[in-house]
This record gives sequence, structure tokens and C-alpha cells, in this order.
Amino acid sequence: MTNVDIVGLGMTQMSLRPSLSGDATPVQLAGQATRAALADAGIVHRDVDALLVGSSQGVRPDRLGVGFAAQGGFGDLRLLEHVEIKGATTVAMIQRARHAITTGEASTVVCVFADAPLVAGKGSGSTYAQSGGNIGARGLERASGLLGSVPTYALLARRWLHVTGNSAEDLCAVATTARRWAEGNPDAVHREPLDEDGYRRSPMISEPLRRLDCARPVNGAVAIVLTGEPAIGTSRLRVRGTGREHPVRRRRAGAESWFGGGRRAVDDALGQAGMSRGDLDVAQLYDPFTVVTLILLDEYRLTGEAPVGEFVRAGQLGPHGALPTNTGGGQLSGFYLQGMTPLAEAVVQLRGTGGARQVPGAITALVGGIGGRMDHHAALVLERAA
Amino acid sequence: MSTMNVMSDWLLGAELAPDVDNDPLRPLYDAAARGELALPFCASCKLTLELEQYVCDGCGGQQRDWWVVAPEGVVHSSTVMHRREPGLVLTDAPYPVVDVELASGHRLIMTTLHPDPTAPAIGTAVRVAFRRLGLVHIPAVTNSANTTGPGETA
Repeated sequence: MTNVDIVGLGMTQMSLRPSLSGDATPVQLAGQATRAALADAGIVHRDVDALLVGSSQGVRPDRLGVGFAAQGGFGDLRLLEHVEIKGATTVAMIQRARHAITTGEASTVVCVFADAPLVAGKGSGSTYAQSGGNIGARGLERASGLLGSVPTYALLARRWLHVTGNSAEDLCAVATTARRWAEGNPDAVHREPLDEDGYRRSPMISEPLRRLDCARPVNGAVAIVLTGEPAIGTSRLRVRGTGREHPVRRRRAGAESWFGGGRRAVDDALGQAGMSRGDLDVAQLYDPFTVVTLILLDEYRLTGEAPVGEFVRAGQLGPHGALPTNTGGGQLSGFYLQGMTPLAEAVVQLRGTGGARQVPGAITALVGGIGGRMDHHAALVLERAA
Repeated sequence: MSTMNVMSDWLLGAELAPDVDNDPLRPLYDAAARGELALPFCASCKLTLELEQYVCDGCGGQQRDWWVVAPEGVVHSSTVMHRREPGLVLTDAPYPVVDVELASGHRLIMTTLHPDPTAPAIGTAVRVAFRRLGLVHIPAVTNSANTTGPGETA
């Protein structure tokens, strides 16, 4: 079977500043990231025969779509799709690209995600609070004060802490560990040191989640080039395995509706790769809130015999830990660009270009993606091939 | 129309009121206007359905009925929301959001009937009453001594 390798990575600057006078729309950001990714792979637009685009859900007139083929300077393509499975989109794009390359539908694929939630005059929290509409179940939730995504995850967090016996100290440990990694990442938006006192001074948003328990949305884009052509690229990271799980849970009395499910995605990805959890050098998980890191480590069985809270408080996610995790600061301290955040960091680590945050000898990585209210799980195992 | 009817909600601006005429939850709002809590069930096998579930996962039935249920339940999870979105949130203090497991088997996210800077803990027994948001009646939790006062401070 054709090997499928990641040979190009391109990132824009991750900006906390709103786009002014339309100078950084998702399409423009996607164009910049794509140009950088192609240059990184040593190819040009006409060498690409497939394009997969991803963008945030919601009604945004300028969201990235399949029109990017024309807007972004591409020539005729053999595959063009908008991939949409919420936070699992990035890994789903890699799966789609791998399928296309191995079946001969395409040979070289660009995957690009761009988002620009920060607009002039409004914080990102405001943008999210104002969106969601006023009909259906979401309309009823919003009419009950559930504005934005933080209170939903606060309910989830409270429930998870109650059911598992974990504590807010564990949330704090995730936040401070992410920040330690971010200190070494020039692309991270929060690089100043953070200790436990600093975490506790962070304003409460929705109990038990403080501002520093929440990801930091940015305006930015990331593009990835995958190919089956051995002649393209100098750095090659092989797609060794992928997996998905979409647990359908019911909001009924007596049932848990937010957690449980997702482990199969990791089992399948590792199974394809012929690896076990102990073979993973780094983990890059989707961490929109601190509690999600804890839940995923637990759900994916990544802490061995150790209870997840103990594992995290012992620093095992940090530098020199048993499983360096979210080594660029994740979405919490790095930047929130949905599924591209963990994938971009995995590419950096496996290439050995992580600078101050490089995990020595990192050859293999687990990349995760979750969507919705932890309804969609996607996993990807990468290994350095050259 | 009584004076109470034109009082604003303690928590939110009326622009957040559901668009009842175009809303798939209209039977819930129609019942709420009568002071009753109605929720969806499979018309064939009577299974509890989610608010926007149209096919029964128990029997595959495609019809659902909205039946009046007992306005009581137990807290599944809760939070106190400190972030108050300017222009949408009227209260000047943190407010509770509660996810309740109803005796009917449904789950429903609500705030409290009256202002309350705390939220009932997981496992607390609560009852459901109705807030008035714009022209729409919205289910709300009423549970403890400190929510029985008149409360409408807005």
C-alpha cells in the first residue's frame, strides 16, 4: 500500500487582535498558511491535485469553503471537499487524504483550516455568547442563561469531578503544565510563567472553570501537505494509524451524556500502527478546557495504572514526564485553532524543530480531536519516517 | 394582562426569548404558558425522547407526543455563571444554571425562578416553575427557601 506522509506544514501568525478592515479574513489566512506549507514541502500550487478545507461551524459569511480552490490560486483538482465534523475535522481531513492517496484518487493533498472569531469591538467570549440562535434545544438553553460554550463545559466538569472524585486542583495542574510548555513555544499566545497562585487569581467564568481553564481563540490558519509521492518533501512524517468513535449518548435520567466513549478511536489508530500506548513519545490532545485533558487521558487510558489526577499533579504531562502532552501549550496556552492545534504541534515535535520545548527523541505521536460536547472522537498516530 | 406580565425577566433580555412560532419545541412553550411542563415521548413505545429527537431509538417510531409530566426532578449538574454578557444578561450578580433529571426521565437545563448567587448541588431535589422571558414562559428551577421571595428586582 502507498505510504502517506505529511511533508508540509504552514502556519500564519496566531493573532489575538481582531481583523481590521478585512485584512485577515479566513480566506486570506488560509492563503498565507497554504503558501507556507507548499514552500515547506518544496512544491507549488500546480503540484497539488486535492484540497480539503475546514472551518468553524456557525453562520459566518466569510467562513472558508470549497471556493478556496479558486480564491487560493489552485489549478484543476481531482478532489475538493469541505470536511465538517466539528473539533474532529482535522483528523478527519487526514483520514480523507490518506484514503484518497492510497486508493489513487489523488496524489498530493492540501488540508487547510482557518478561523477568525475575533472581530473588532468584541472579545471572543462575546462572539461565542452572541451565537447559537433562539430556536430548538439550543434556544431553550440560551433562554436559560447557557451562553457560549463555557457554561456547558462547566456543567460537564462539575459532573465529571462529582462522578470521579477528582478536584479543582487537577484542573489547576493541567493549566500550569500547559503554560510551562507554552513558555518554550514562540507561537503560543500566553508565554508568561503561571503558578498555582496565578491560576487561582484567574477570574471565575462558570464554576468550576476559570478563564485560565479555557482555550484562547485566535485568528489564524494552519495548512498541511500530504503526499504519496516519494520525491516530494524532505521531512516525512508517516500516517501510521487513524480511528474514530462517535458515541451517541442520550440525555436521559440515570445516564451520563457527556463522557464515556472515544477509547476505540485510539485503540483503532494504535492497532493500525501496530503500536501500544507505551510506544507513544508525545500526546497532542484537543484541550478546549482543562477538564477535557483530564477526561481524555482517562478515557483513552493514557496514564497506565495511575489515576489521572495523580498522574497530572505529578507532572507526568510536562517536560521529562512519562507522557509529554500538549507540548506547545495546547489550546489553553498555545492557541485555539481547533484540531489544527494538536496536529501542528505533533509535526513540530516529530521533526525535532521544537526548540526550547522539544521533547528529546520524539519519533511517535498521538494526535486527538474531539467535537461537540465530546460527541466525536478522532485519533491519529504519526511516526517520523525521514 | 396583569402587571406581572410586562415585568422583565430577572436574568436575560427579551431578545433571547425563543421564536415560538418557528420552534420545534412549540408544544413545550404552549404548555408552559398554561403553567404545565410538557415533554416529548415516543407515540408508539412511550420512551422518553430528547427535545429534538424525531426517531425513537427504542422502537424506531417516527411519531412523538408531548405529554404533561410531573414538574419535579433531581440536579444532575449545576454551575454558577460569573461571566455576564453585556446586553444579554441583565442581572448584576453571578447566576445559576442547572441541569435537572426530571422524574419523567427527561433532562432539562434551567436557571432559577428568582435571582440566586448559588446553584443547588448535584443530587438536590428540585421543582419546576416558569419564568417569563419576553412573551415566552421558560421552565425554571424553584427549590429552596431563598428562591421563594418575590425576587423580581429588574
